[in-house]
Amino acid sequence: MKYNYSTKWVLQRVTALFLIPLTFWFIFQCISFQDYQYEEIQLFFKSYFNSFLFMGMMIIMLIHSKLGCETIIKDYVFSIHLQKICNNLINCITVVTLVLVIGSIFKLIII
Amino acid sequence: MIDNRPLSPHLTIYKKVLTAFFSIFHRITGIGLSIGSILIAFWIFLIALGPSYFYFFKIISETNVFKIILFLWTLGVFYHLFNGVRYLFWTYGLGMQLKTVYSSGYLIVFLTFLASIIAWLI
Repeated sequence: MKYNYSTKWVLQRVTALFLIPLTFWFIFQCISFQDYQYEEIQLFFKSYFNSFLFMGMMIIMLIHSKLGCETIIKDYVFSIHLQKICNNLINCITVVTLVLVIGSIFKLIII
Repeated sequence: MIDNRPLSPHLTIYKKVLTAFFSIFHRITGIGLSIGSILIAFWIFLIALGPSYFYFFKIISETNVFKIILFLWTLGVFYHLFNGVRYLFWTYGLGMQLKTVYSSGYLIVFLTFLASIIAWLI
């Protein structure tokens, strides 16, 4: 999917706005995850609310990361050919990570 | 034409100023957090695979090295978050006077450490 630069710029800021509350929610959960047992984490993700927030955060975070990394590549990588390779690599990593997160969350909810 | 466009930033020709470091550090933390988001995905994948795979993560998470990395990650998240909010204000043309740019920069460093410490103490 091709976006123009202004769409990317707006999308970068909109995703940033959504990430502000979600990051606070996750970071405070994340630190306590260290002490959780497997059953406690499983129970955490059994909650639709927690799973929805986590999945939403990860999707928005990955889109935000993808846009940010593309901007950095555009600014620092001189070769257009290398830029395309890097962007394709970023797209692949983003898609694989998204599939991994969505699949894992669904598995945790179902089991 | 697109091949010959000027590329930014021309790091080597500018005098090093504090505001530039804030900007560069925002990008460095952004790259770090992007890698971190892949690790979070890997973590949830391990949980979904089952308890035996989760205990592999549990062993790693109990090491001091992991705790130090997690603390540095917390610092990176809060820095990127607060500095990102500062950039959102700039989008609307707010806080762009030179004095305000510097003072908001110092405020971000203070808030980053404060929020990280609070997050770890709670």
